[in-house]
Amino acid sequence: MVPALDLFLQTLLNGLLIGGVIGTFTIGFQLAFGVLHVIDFAVGGWVVLGGYLGYYMAAGLGVDGFLAIPVAFVLFGAIGYLIGPILYNVRNSRTARPELMALALTFGLFTLLRGGMLTAWGFNTHSVPTALSGESLAVGPVTVPLIRVAAAVFAIAIAGGLFLFLYRTRYGLAIRATAENRQNAALMGVNIRRLSANVYGLYAGITAMAGVLMGAIFSVNPEVGLRYTLFAFFVAVLAGLGSVGGALVAALLLGVIEAFVATYVGSSYSLLAIFATLFLVLLVSPRGILRHGL
Amino acid sequence: MKPRWTGLLLLIAVIVVLALLPMLVNNFWLRIATGALMWAGLACSWNILGGYAGYINFGHSAFFGLGAYVTALLMGDKLAWPFFATLPAGIVVTALFAIIIGAPTLRLRGAYFAIATWAFAEVLIQFASVMDFTGGIGGIGLPPFLDERFFYFAMFGAAALTYLITWALFERSRFGLKVKALRDHEPAAEAMGINTSLVKLQTFVLSAVTASVFGAIFAYWVTFINPNSVFGGDITDQMVVMVLLGGLGSLWGPALGGVALFVVNRIIWMYWGDTAFYIAILGAAIVLVVLFLPNGIAGLFSRRGAKSGAVLDKAVGNLAGDGQGGPS
Repeated sequence: MVPALDLFLQTLLNGLLIGGVIGTFTIGFQLAFGVLHVIDFAVGGWVVLGGYLGYYMAAGLGVDGFLAIPVAFVLFGAIGYLIGPILYNVRNSRTARPELMALALTFGLFTLLRGGMLTAWGFNTHSVPTALSGESLAVGPVTVPLIRVAAAVFAIAIAGGLFLFLYRTRYGLAIRATAENRQNAALMGVNIRRLSANVYGLYAGITAMAGVLMGAIFSVNPEVGLRYTLFAFFVAVLAGLGSVGGALVAALLLGVIEAFVATYVGSSYSLLAIFATLFLVLLVSPRGILRHGL
Repeated sequence: MKPRWTGLLLLIAVIVVLALLPMLVNNFWLRIATGALMWAGLACSWNILGGYAGYINFGHSAFFGLGAYVTALLMGDKLAWPFFATLPAGIVVTALFAIIIGAPTLRLRGAYFAIATWAFAEVLIQFASVMDFTGGIGGIGLPPFLDERFFYFAMFGAAALTYLITWALFERSRFGLKVKALRDHEPAAEAMGINTSLVKLQTFVLSAVTASVFGAIFAYWVTFINPNSVFGGDITDQMVVMVLLGGLGSLWGPALGGVALFVVNRIIWMYWGDTAFYIAILGAAIVLVVLFLPNGIAGLFSRRGAKSGAVLDKAVGNLAGDGQGGPS
């Protein structure tokens, strides 16, 4: 019984730690949806790009993978800041179906990123080397790789910072107001266009930072982007589109489900299990089971 | 009357050329023409839901693959059904799946539907990869039948039928008006007494079933399928690009977009083989079309359609106050 319990605890802890990192970019995903009303298919693309940045900084410059985290934030934050207004324009354009067009645009962006990365870097898998890679921490009977602990700590810090920003600053208030009712927010003097650019930039930056961590914990190749887009969708469906509070809970749940299926059933079934859960939730409670407002 | 006549003459000319094509060209070009017809038909199939009902399906390859797998499994060594007997079976299976996925998700905003269909296609890839009866990642073979003319005419017939059904149902009947009404303003359509959930589901099933027929012919044509070759996301990507390029919600747009993109695909394939670069081109094409040609090639010819859409959108925006609506 005791080894079985150890395995159970180990799996649970692993799942929670990974779930925390997934939580960082799904919070951003929800925020971007709340403000822009655009489902961002490209989310997995930003994660993978972050991972590649970490790999190339470590391999090319010989610096520690962790140093790529702030660089990823600045670089992809800037790229997101430039893409945000384009998304905003398409979403609010006078074409017949702007919602569809915006969805198609992010889908195209994702396909472009995936194809571009495959062309440039091929199908090979890389890992981001860091100072903590290979080290692990023993807590009682459970051993945890240190990199996962560091990533989870980092994720908690980012998520905490984001919540403080959203609920304790005037700009956070403007973001929440825009997500709740765009027209009223605009009447109160919020520059929706600029706010959209900032939010998309913030989200792309955070997502790329999470990507560096994911690259250090697992590994990175252009095809895994699809997996992260799926994660973001899973969380969005579970929590309800646009719900920021539920996103973190749903992400932790996702991490745990994945860890348990991988440990007890087999890792080739983990995606299948996630999809099955996603479907079940869509069938039973299509608007999310953790629904809170922003 | 003049434009109608030229249009009709053009249509007759295209049909005559297509019917005589096997006598005019060699097998290499016939294969390319068969592929072009398949993609023109698949683009139309995607457009039935995406263009006319306004619901984006990011997992349409699921239905293409279902048709392919049903045919492949039934024609295998154990059952050895004749090809044409597998088509109705594929249609029934596809329709059932479409109802299971469509019934709950079509009631929701388009975004949930897009996620659900996309997830469904990925589930099928995973499922077909881990199961034994589908042959796993290795896939399954079909009894080879090497008659290029048969497959050319099969694709030609399927594509012609798809366009004919689309034309009859969506351009010439009350059903088409209902679908377009709910696309343009769903609450208003509901207020007019249209059962929008049912109409959307019917449209989705039609769209899924047509894709499955092409999948079935494709499987028999290439005689070997695996999860990625028939369920792969790239298949859906191509359909989306073809329809956007040709013109969302127009009858002939998908045919133009489908043939144009397929020709580009073959040119790239001839010079560089199977390349990841093509995926990047697809992505760039989607982005560029959305940004600069939102009404597609068909929109260039009918300015009227594009403008009336914009006017309607504005009116709807005014009606609804905040045209966007919250995430509610």
